[in-house]
Parts: sequence; structure tokens; C-alpha cells
Amino acid sequence: MRSSVMLLLPILLPTICGIIAGLVPAFKKDETRRVLVLAALAGTLGVTAWQIFTEGSALALLTIAPGMELRLAVDDVTRVFASLIAVMWLLSGIFSREYMKHEGHRSRYDCFFLMSEGAMLGVAMAGNYITMYLFFEWMTLLSLPMVLHSQTKDAIRAGIKYLLYSFAGAFAGLLGIPFLLKYGTTLNFIPGGVLDPALTEGHEGLLLGVAFAVILGFGAKAGIYPLHAWLPAAHPEAPAPASAILSGVITKAGVIAIIRVVYYQFGTGFLSGTWVQTVLLSITLLTILMGSAMAFQEKLLKKRLAYSTVSQVSYILFGLLLMNTQALTGSFLHILCHSIAKDGLFLCAGAIIYKTGRKNVDELTGIGKEMPVVLWCFTLCSLALIGIPPMCGFMSKWYLAIGSLDSAIPVISWLGPVILLISALLTAGYLLPVVIHGFFPGEGFDYSKLQKREPNWWILVPVILLAALAAFTIWPQPLTDLAKRVADALM
Amino acid sequence: MTGTILLPVLVLLPMAGALLSYLVGRRNKEARNRFALLVTVAEAVLVALALVRVCNGEEPFCELPELLGGIRFETDGFQGVYTAVAALMWMMTSLFSAEYLHHYRNRNRYWFFTLLTFGATVGVFLAADLMTAFIFFEIMSFTSWVMVVHDENPAAMRAGQTYLAVAVLGGMVMLMGLFLLSNLTGTLRISELRAACAAVPAERRTELYLAGALILFGYGAKAGMFPLHIWLPKAHPAAPAPASALLSGILTKAGIFGVLVLSARVFLHDGGWGTALLALGEMTMLLGAVLAVFSVNLKKTLACSSVSQIGFILTGIGMQCLLGEENGLAVWGTELHMINHSMFKLVLFMCAGAVYMNTHKLNLNDIRGFGRGKPVLTAAFLCGCLGIAGVPFFSGYISKTLLHESIVEYTEVLAETGSSVLLMKGAEWVFLLSGGLTAAYMTKLFVAVFVEKNADPAVQARYDGLNRKYMNRFSAAALLIPAALLPLMGTTPSATMARIAEMGQEFMNGEGVHHAIHWFSLENLKGAGISLAIGAIVYFGVIRPLLMRKKQNGIREYTDRWPTWLDLEEAVYRPLVSGVTWLTTRICGGINTFGSKILPAACRFLMEKPIRLLASVPDALTDEEDRRPLARGIRGAVRNVIRGIALIPDAAADLAEKSILRRIPIPAIKPGDSQPDDLSVPDVVPKKAVNIVNSFSYGLILFGAGLIAVLLYLIFN
Repeated sequence: MRSSVMLLLPILLPTICGIIAGLVPAFKKDETRRVLVLAALAGTLGVTAWQIFTEGSALALLTIAPGMELRLAVDDVTRVFASLIAVMWLLSGIFSREYMKHEGHRSRYDCFFLMSEGAMLGVAMAGNYITMYLFFEWMTLLSLPMVLHSQTKDAIRAGIKYLLYSFAGAFAGLLGIPFLLKYGTTLNFIPGGVLDPALTEGHEGLLLGVAFAVILGFGAKAGIYPLHAWLPAAHPEAPAPASAILSGVITKAGVIAIIRVVYYQFGTGFLSGTWVQTVLLSITLLTILMGSAMAFQEKLLKKRLAYSTVSQVSYILFGLLLMNTQALTGSFLHILCHSIAKDGLFLCAGAIIYKTGRKNVDELTGIGKEMPVVLWCFTLCSLALIGIPPMCGFMSKWYLAIGSLDSAIPVISWLGPVILLISALLTAGYLLPVVIHGFFPGEGFDYSKLQKREPNWWILVPVILLAALAAFTIWPQPLTDLAKRVADALM
Repeated sequence: MTGTILLPVLVLLPMAGALLSYLVGRRNKEARNRFALLVTVAEAVLVALALVRVCNGEEPFCELPELLGGIRFETDGFQGVYTAVAALMWMMTSLFSAEYLHHYRNRNRYWFFTLLTFGATVGVFLAADLMTAFIFFEIMSFTSWVMVVHDENPAAMRAGQTYLAVAVLGGMVMLMGLFLLSNLTGTLRISELRAACAAVPAERRTELYLAGALILFGYGAKAGMFPLHIWLPKAHPAAPAPASALLSGILTKAGIFGVLVLSARVFLHDGGWGTALLALGEMTMLLGAVLAVFSVNLKKTLACSSVSQIGFILTGIGMQCLLGEENGLAVWGTELHMINHSMFKLVLFMCAGAVYMNTHKLNLNDIRGFGRGKPVLTAAFLCGCLGIAGVPFFSGYISKTLLHESIVEYTEVLAETGSSVLLMKGAEWVFLLSGGLTAAYMTKLFVAVFVEKNADPAVQARYDGLNRKYMNRFSAAALLIPAALLPLMGTTPSATMARIAEMGQEFMNGEGVHHAIHWFSLENLKGAGISLAIGAIVYFGVIRPLLMRKKQNGIREYTDRWPTWLDLEEAVYRPLVSGVTWLTTRICGGINTFGSKILPAACRFLMEKPIRLLASVPDALTDEEDRRPLARGIRGAVRNVIRGIALIPDAAADLAEKSILRRIPIPAIKPGDSQPDDLSVPDVVPKKAVNIVNSFSYGLILFGAGLIAVLLYLIFN
């Protein structure tokens, strides 16, 4: 493996640019700063692409103690997530340029927006447990100001909740380090796991308990029950592009961590078929159903989307924890699908708030006549999330359900698809009415008051791109191949 | 891509046409209408090309493995014929729509989605595997929904809600069935299913039935099978007439297509499956016919009639399974009745459209007498009526006779083996009765619209004034062309209908009819005669005396005597759905609230003891009597830090979940209070938490604590 300092670039570039954007007086002016921000985001996408597609590099930064070092490495999982992160941040960044005009404190926002991208890329590129943990915590802290942004009482309350849950979760995650050091060979991520059978013998019960705590802990970021309460609090409070990032990408930090823990540290050989797997699968199914049902009864659009995230990210976790190739392929597809669709939905919700100030679902009647392009994008993203072909959610759920039926776990193997089905129905139930009443306001609608409120291109371009991306499964071959390759390598 | 490009082009052409017609329509409405018609004509030509290749013994096939996880098209005789029927229907309705939609709002939207639906429907009929069929089926469901709600009036919105709910539910349940089926057989290819399903081991047979039932739910919902027929009587009247014709004539057949795949591939010659389908078909047939007899709304009657005719088709499919190898009659009857019904409903709904675009009314009392003195409309409607009622020399007679004969044949088979024929006799009589009701309600419509005069002479005069200018010649052509096909096919069954039937029998794994059929033999005419006699009895014995009412001025008018509470949707489904969702959301709400309290409660539980302990530290460490400035300063600083730490979880938990936590009682340290040693005295910390909360300190401290934990471990390791 090649050692390359360049691996630091994707992390350092946004971080440094963020600090500059926040602190250097020359960039206090909005016009100059937003050039910097967009350049930084585009540059990050560039260096990320360059680094992750450079064959097999790794970088050991410094060694804290023997066996414990800060280490960056690129593998297939990194490739999936890092490209996703860089693209999503760029699109949300373009959106922010216009959207943040009515929010204030823009240099602070830009600063943390960029720095959290660096941290998030760090999580994706971490080569061992310690590094991942550090970036994980860093990312929580750096994304916090985006939740606190409006500085209202509710926002602060939401911010605290976010911290409490994230840190409580990460503490549980921290628990894994000493045990893995004692019973494993290394903290580096090795496909298949690092546990040493000679050492673990007789301590399986303890290690399973630790694994359970670690997975559930990292799951807090992914909104797993009962650590999901921060999502519906934090997402509606943050500005729309930040909610999009929080919901679409930052929740995936939990997913990355769980992939690393399950597939690269404890190993599927150790975990599959144990009570840990069964219990966690049950929890994810519960989360899927509960999130959808809560979204169904929620009237505030952004909060509805937040509950939807609780549900959808658990689809991903469900697939990961089934630990077979089909389900894992489904998970990888759903990671992309949910990120794209949910980012798109949040940005559409943001565009509506930006132009009309309407936040409640009931106020959106006829919105499709005022902002047709935005609502069309909302529709496509909704269909993707429900899983209507040819949009992407269909493929991912197909693989998840097939994977579930393939697994030999009693009850869960058939209960999984049933819950997926019920949840899909609920998803249709909470997303489609927005579209229906938006485009079909009914006879009584007053067309005379209608005015076109389509936002400008800074908002439309990312929204349209996301809606188009949500149909990526029309040509899914490259992605299914990648997902299958990752899955095969791990199984 | 492997295979012929023709098939994907067939699917994509209307879809691309949809986009282009939308763009054209933004410039010029007239050009858009012509362009859309051109698209349908071009499609029809291509379909004809494909059909020619099929007739030459080819089986065009195309596989696009890169798309959507594998899209496969093929066409054999049946698929080709049905694609042709679809093309014909879209061509005729497009011809008709230009005039019908003239005064509508959002016409561009209508054309866009109609053409998209066209492409998707062709995709369903050309699908070579159930996955492809499902994908296009879902697209079709969603795009056709826009056609249903086009008017945006409350009735249309409500009908659309029902339609969409049934479509989404049906689609998802079907998907579940497909999961199971592919798990069981490992393939969803229609051509491979027969062998794969036969290879399913006996102990997993139940799962196969489950999968079949789930898939049947999805396709049956679209076809309008009882008890999922609820959307038809609502959606068809609400949609614009050309859309109703398409919904009723062809989209329901996409559902039947799926049922055929199930019955002829997955459960080929399976008696149990056949019995279930027969029972469902008979229910659907009778219920639809009874509802149609009661209805006083022109399009609702036609919609209920669709339910009933779908019942005939399902009965035919059931008979295919029951008859096993010798199912030629049922196979032919099923296929021909599908095609016939498409044609009937095309003609009849467009006639209804001609009435509606002039009167904007559908109630029989309002439109009574509209058709008098309008020969083109009368001729077209009459052809439709006679056809659907099964009158000899019209095409409906042929298909109904075949279906009837298949029931008779199975009764004979049962009698030969000595089994009870009672049930089959019952089925036969339900069949004849439904046929009779069909004749009765069509007579009702025809008499009301074309024979009787309107109760209000002024209205009648206005209707008469419309003669010769109530529709243009394009619309007239759209009515007459398909109408003329009905007697044409009905009088030359061996030359036309039998040939079409032969093309399709292979798809259903039918053996075909070996002996020559005497279409107009006495025995066959007897069945039609019984049905028509029942029809006459019902019309003169029930409809005229019981379903009409005399008003004060002595004029009799049609009245709807169907009890309003007796509506499956309003009485059962809607309450059921809202009840289930209410329960689910309540339960999940409870789970959610409970889950949100776990972490704050755990924090409190874990931290209460240490905090109390900590709170006592400053006083244990320092001497209260020591009044040196430095000592006081240090003491105060230590106190404040510890109080700060003590506040963290409390404040955090408080903010995180306000309701759950009692405040942790720690002794308050007031200046001058020298004896704070009684820790058990509960006292509430003043709410100064905001200072901490507003800052980053909480987060940073926890972050630091995390680092410290790592470092401590490293040091002691």
C-alpha cells in the first residue's frame, strides 16, 4: 500500500477554507466569501475524486501508542461514502448561497458548513477505529452550530438534544476500543474482522454485549430506536440546506461506523446468528415502522421528513445487519438513494420556505401551481423514497427484501419484507398528499391570486440535479456492480 | 442490448411523444392535438409491423440487462394482439379527445400523462418477465391517476384518492408476492415460470399459493376484481370520457394480463386456483351487473358494467384452470371477451363522452332524449349495446357463447366422473343471469337516451336543436370505426375471431379448439336466448316498475334505489383504513415517546449518585473558617466548577426531555451559609443552566472527557 500525504487533502481543504471563511476579515463580505465557499466545495469534490480513485493509498499519521495510530485509508466503502459526501455538500452549498440570504450569520454558517465536511470525509476515510472515533466526535461538534443557527430557544434545545444523543452514542462506541485491543489483533479495518479466535474463546458473551452497545451507540447518529429523538428535534430547526446535510449525509456517519464495526472489526463470522443480530434487526424493524408512522401524523413538513429519515436510515441498518450479499447490496443502494432523495426533499422544502415561508403541510395546497419545477422535483424524490419504479428506492428495497427472504433468521426473514411494505405504504401516505394537493388544488382554488414564485437557478439547479440523480437506478449497473463488489468482498 | 430494437421502441415512442407533445402544446394547442394523434398512428404502424413478424412465426425478444436491473420484452400472439388493441384504442380516443377536451383546463397535462400511460401500458403487455411488467404497471398506475383527477372537482379528487390508494396498496402487495415468487422459483421470466413453478417442492406449495394470492391482489385490484372493484364505479365517471374508455377498456386488461400469467404459468391447470378464480369471477360478474342495473348515471352504469364484464373474463380464466388440458373453449372465450370488452367500452364511453360534451350532465333524467334524431350516435351506441348484451351476429355473442360452453363442458366432465354438478349448475345460472342483467341495463340506457323524450320539453327542444352539429366528423369517425368492427367480427366469427383466438392460445398454454364450432347452432343460440329472456323480464319486471318513480306532473323518471349505506368503500374500507392507521400511529406514538425518555432517564440514573458525591467535595476539601483571599478564591472556583459539572446532565436532560426528569437535588451553596452538610435535604438548583447551555462547554467537556478516557486507558495499559 502506497503512503500518500495527499490523502489529507480532502479533509484539510474544506477545514482550512472553513476557518478562513469564518475568521479572515477579507472574507467578511458575502460576495467574496461565497466564491471561496463554492471554490472550496468544488475543490474538495475534485481532490476527493482524485484521492479515492487513486489505487489503494493509506496514510499513517502519528502513533499514539503501539497498535494505536491515526490512520487514513481508502477502500471501496470509503469510495462510496466520500463521493456521496463531496457531491451532496457541493449541491447543498450551491443551494445555501441563495437560501442563506434570509438567515443571517452567514460567515459562521459557511465556516461550520465547510469544516463539518472535512470531518465527515475524515469519518469516511478513517483507516482504523481510533481515527474514525475522533472524526466522529469532531463532526458532531462542528455540525452543532448549524443546528443552533437560528439561536432561538427551540434551536438551542434541539442542539443540546443533538449533543446529548450523539455523545452518549459515541461513548458507547468508545467502549469498543479497549475490548478490541484486548481480544483482537489490530484496530485497523480488516475485511472480515480482527477478532482473534484464540483470545476470544470463553469471552464471547462479553464481546457480544460490547458489540451490541457499540452498534447501538453509533446507531444514535443514524437515528436507531431508542436513540432517535434528536432527529425530529434538530432537523426542523436547522436551515434547510443544513437539514439536508444532517439528514441525508450526517446520519450516514452512523452507518459508516456500523459497517466498520460489524464488517471490519467484530466480523460477520462472529456476529451472525447471535442474539445481537436478532435483537438489532428487531430494533431496526421497529424503527422503520415507528418512523414512518410518526411521519404520517406529523404536520410540519421538515419534521415529517426528519421522521422519515429515522425510518429510512433503519432500512439501511436492517440490510447491513442481515449480513448477506443481497441485503448488503440493497443497503449500499439505499444509502445513495436515501441521501439523494432526502437531500432533494429537504431542499425542496427549503425552497418553499424561502419563497413563501410556509412550513406546514396543510398550507401547501396549490404550491405546484406557484412553483411547478420545485414540486416536480419533490414528486420525483418522493417516488424514489416510496420505491416506485423507475426511481431508485425500488431497486434498493427489492434487494433488501430479497436479502431478508434469503436469510435464515426465523420470523425476521418474512417479517422484514412485510414491515418494508407497510412502511412503504405509510411513506406514500405522508409524501403523496403534499404532491396531490400541491398540483391538484381542487376546483375551489383561486387561480386569480396565483403568482409564479419559482426560485432562481442557485436553488433550482441543485434541486433538479438531485431529482435527476434519484432516478439513477434507470442505469444501475455501475452502482449495483460496485455494491456487489463491496458486498462480496465483505461476505 | 440483445434482440430486436423494435420492442423498446414500441414502449419508448409514446413516452418520448408525451414529452414532445407537451413542448409542442406550450406553443400551439391545435398542433399538439395533431402531433399526439400522429404519435398514436406511428405506434399503431409499428405494432402492426411487430404483429406481422409474429404471424411469420418469429417471437421478437429484447433484453436490456443494464436498465433497472434487467428489462425484458417479448411478444407472442397474445401480447402482440393486445398491444394492437391498445394502439387502436389510443388512436381512437386521441381522435375523439381533440373535440371533447376543447373547453378543458390543463389540457397539456392531460395529453402528457395519457401518452405516458400509453407507453407504460404497452410496456406491461410486452413484458417478458414479471419484474418488467411490475415496473411498467406501477408507472401506468401513477400516470393514469392524473387522468382520473383531471377535472379536479371534489368527486374526481375523492375518486382519485380511492384509485391511488388501491393502486399503491395493490402495487406494494404485488411486489411482496413477487419477492416470494422469485425466492421460491428463482426466476420471474414468464417463459420459464411454468417449469420453475412445477419444480417447487410439495412442502413449499403453500408459499407458492401465498405468492400467487399476493400477486393476484395487485393485478386483480387493477382489473376490478371483487372485492377490490371499488375504484371503478368512482373513477370512471369522474375521468374525462376518453380517459374512462382507456381506463375501462385497456388498463383493466393490464390487470387481467397479470392474472393470465398467474393462471396459465404459475398455476397451470390447477383446480384449486381455478375454483377460487371462478368464485371471485362469479361474484364480480353478478355484483357489477346488479350495481349497473340500479345506477342512474350513464358513465357509472358503464363502469359497473365493466366490473361485471371483468367478472365474465375471470370466470373464463377460472374455467381454463378447471378444465385442465381440454380448456380450448375457455381459452378462446377469455381472450375474445377481453378484446370484445375493450371494443365495447371504447365505443360506449366515447358515446357517453359525446353526450357529456354537449350537455355536461350524466344523470339519465337529465340526458333523457338526447340521442333522438342523431343517427350516428344511435348507431354506434346500439352496436355497443347489442355487442355487450351478447346478441347474435355481434361479437359479444361469440365470446359469451364460448365461455358458456366451457362451463357446460366442465359440468359434463363432472357428471361423467360422478361428482356433484350442483355448484357448476349454479355457476352456469349466475352466468346466464348476469348476461340477462347486462341486456337489461343496456336496454335501460338505450331507451332513456335514444328513445324516450326528455321530461322537460324545452330541454328536449334544445337537444333536438343540436342534431347534426353535436360533434365533428373526427369524433364521429372515432365512434363509428370501432363500432363497425363489432357486427363485422360477430358475423364472420370463423374468419376473424377464431384466427385472433388462435394467435393468443399459446400464451395461455391452451390446446385450442379442435372440432369445428357451429357458432350459430341451436344449442348455442339457446344460451343467448335464455340470457336475453332474463334481460327482458328484468327490464319490464324490475327496472320499469320498481326503479322508476312518478313525479307530481305524472312523468316517470329514473330513481336510484340502491341504499347509500351499502357501499363497500364507505362502509368498510375507509373506516378500516383510518382505523388501522389511527391505531398504528397511536401505538408508534407511544413507542416513540417512551423511547425518547430512555436516554435522559438513563443519564439521570447514572449520574445522580456521583453528582451528590461531587457536590460534597468542595466543602470536604476546604476549611470554611479559612478566610484568606487566595483560599477563598480557590474554594469558590472549585465550587463553581463542580456545580457547573453537576448542572450539565441535569440541564441537558432537562432540555432534552423536559417532562421526564426531576431535578437532581444537590445542596445549594449560598454565600454566608456555613453549614451545607446535610446532603439529604432536597433543594432545587436555581435555573442557571442557560449559561452552560448557550455555550459550547457542555459539548467540549464531553469531548474532552472522551479524550481523557482514551488517554487514561493508554496510560494504564
